[in-house]
Amino acid sequence: MRSAIAQFGAIVADLLRELADENAYRRHLEAHGRAHSGEEWRRFIDARLCAKYTRPKCC
Amino acid sequence: MRRILGHVLWAGISALAAVSLGGIALWRGEHINSLWLVIAAVCTYLAGFRFYGKFIAARVMALDNKRATPAERLRNGHDFEPTNKWILFGHHFAAIAGPGPLVGPVLAAQFGYLPGTLWIIIGAVVGGCVQDFVILFASMRRNGKSLGQMAREEIGRLGGFTALLTVMFIMIILLAVIGLVVVNALKGSPWGTFTIAATMPIAVFMGLYLRYWRPGKVLEISVIGFVLVVASVFAGQAVAQSPALAPWFTLSGAALAGAVILYGFLASALPVWLLLAPRDYLSTFVKLGVIFMLALGILFVRPELELPAFTRFVDGTGPIFAGKIFPFCFITIACGAISGFHSLISSGTTPKMIAREWHAWPIGYGSMALESFVAIMALIAACALQPGVYFAVNSPAGIVGAAPQAAVETITNWGFPVTTQTMSEMASQVGESTLFQRTGGAPSLALGMAHIFARTGGGQAILGFWYHFAIMFEALFILTVIDAGTRVGRFMLQDLLGHIWKPLGKTGWMPGIIGTSAAIVLAWGYFLYQGVRDPLGGINSLWPLFGIANQLLAAVALCVATTILIKMHRLRYAWMTAAPLAWLVVVTFTAGWQKIFSDVPRIGFLARAAELQAMIDAGKVPAAKLAETRALIFNERLDAVVCGIFLALVATILIDSIRVWIGILRGALANETTEAPFVLTNMEPEEA
Repeated sequence: MRSAIAQFGAIVADLLRELADENAYRRHLEAHGRAHSGEEWRRFIDARLCAKYTRPKCC
Repeated sequence: MRRILGHVLWAGISALAAVSLGGIALWRGEHINSLWLVIAAVCTYLAGFRFYGKFIAARVMALDNKRATPAERLRNGHDFEPTNKWILFGHHFAAIAGPGPLVGPVLAAQFGYLPGTLWIIIGAVVGGCVQDFVILFASMRRNGKSLGQMAREEIGRLGGFTALLTVMFIMIILLAVIGLVVVNALKGSPWGTFTIAATMPIAVFMGLYLRYWRPGKVLEISVIGFVLVVASVFAGQAVAQSPALAPWFTLSGAALAGAVILYGFLASALPVWLLLAPRDYLSTFVKLGVIFMLALGILFVRPELELPAFTRFVDGTGPIFAGKIFPFCFITIACGAISGFHSLISSGTTPKMIAREWHAWPIGYGSMALESFVAIMALIAACALQPGVYFAVNSPAGIVGAAPQAAVETITNWGFPVTTQTMSEMASQVGESTLFQRTGGAPSLALGMAHIFARTGGGQAILGFWYHFAIMFEALFILTVIDAGTRVGRFMLQDLLGHIWKPLGKTGWMPGIIGTSAAIVLAWGYFLYQGVRDPLGGINSLWPLFGIANQLLAAVALCVATTILIKMHRLRYAWMTAAPLAWLVVVTFTAGWQKIFSDVPRIGFLARAAELQAMIDAGKVPAAKLAETRALIFNERLDAVVCGIFLALVATILIDSIRVWIGILRGALANETTEAPFVLTNMEPEEA
């Protein structure tokens, strides 16, 4: 029971990180072999938001 | 043994679904408990998911976990990334959950709780879930292509172009109507207006924090942002009670419409990280949290439904919008039952992140079932209000009279007793000067939600907080749809105008950005302003127009889906998408025809224009109102033209699709599939 709750909590936390683009940023750093920095975050988020907001949001 | 237990369990769920659906359909007693609706909905979704959804997955689509998905084949760490199915489920649900399933059911409750409930549940299980699932599957098999691309490739260039134009027109009407919902919720409400105004500097602070002070800490700043927004709800009460500050935030509908239009322009033209993105993060988390809270609240409180199964307004004389159950219930509730907009999401980010083909089943079918459940909860929140209160809040002055006494007399004469004392006590409890004529659905939903939340703890003392928290929640994510939608509309327009003059197509060219942002904002802003000035409340004209448009987009998606099934040699199963398509075509074309040509002025745009013209000709319009009345006549005719354009666009794509179907079946057209070739997956089961 405790492990099921922990597993559920982990999925919720991961979902929140996915929705917050934090997972995507981690993947971006891994894929390009780069370390986190303010400059790197701005480069990543500019490209991501640019793509994200060319798609309509649901009504 | 386990297998037998499984059969028994599913037989029990199916029986419970049938009994509870039958129960709520046939019960005509005093009141019914909302738990019956919850049980009927949940059991029907589960049975639909387990049997119908799985049948489509296994027999129609033949999902294959050995087949590598685009997320695996095209993995790039950005768009294409295999993602845990439950995380992607939440991600997809957050993307499809907009204001539609909250507002539509509240408006349709004017027919009583039963028509909306049955349409939401049955429409979702056999229509909306199937559409979302099939489009997600089709896009996944085509490297994550968009609905427009699939329409172009599967049906033809005409179909693709029509789909793009349809999306553009729908967005303009959508942004106007949800803008109107916000305006009507905040009109004359300093508490609500202050709270929403405060979210702007909070979003800018979040944007700066994220960009320069703590880059990448999105969750951290979202928590801070949430605390600040809740603080602004509390501060709003102090502002509303301050004689010096309250007038600054007590705005008319026209002033609020101007503010929303200005906001849409700024959000579209300013850097996205500064205002739009931080609001979007915050709105997503608040939206998910509040939906979860509402579900818990309904389960805890189990309110009785005060509205009857059917009201007298099934005859088409409803005060909120005119028209009979058929077809108007089915276009008023779009997103909770079937929504064309979902097909854009199902062919957007999600198909690029699916790790295994079978994950499309819970993500495509299951997410829509959950969205449908949100609509059921909104319906419960509205139907838990006293019917007299519900109609007093939602009926426009043009129908019930501007004076409170006139309004309560009219509503009481309809058979829904309400007094001015009840209304003023309720307004006082939620910190508002009045709750009369708060059309649009958002205030009555907020009122229903506030009563449910207050009954879970805190009581009437914190009703005002919960009401304004609910208003903040609704306005926050409606404004997020408006700002993102304006920006997307700008890109679409730039894309289109770039073919005429190249610089206009450059997304980084400032004059182009300002010009196209202004054009899009003015397009939806015009319809918003028209709604604000409409003596019938605006919702009566704009919401059906939006519903027709959204359902027509669903018809476009189902045309694409049916074409794909036929091309896959699944003709014997093509009825699964063709049947909801036929239903939507009948519903939307009937609604569209009535909205244009009905001789009842409250329904037909042209009849209303003719009625107003006759009033001018008979000299019944005072000179001071002449210009305004002429503007109303122009607007009614414009709405008729827009509605006609929607019908023409969808008739075009439908005829083009039928041409393709007949061509394929007769062998006159080549049955070319655009599916990506089969590639064996290299992923281990645990990787997905």
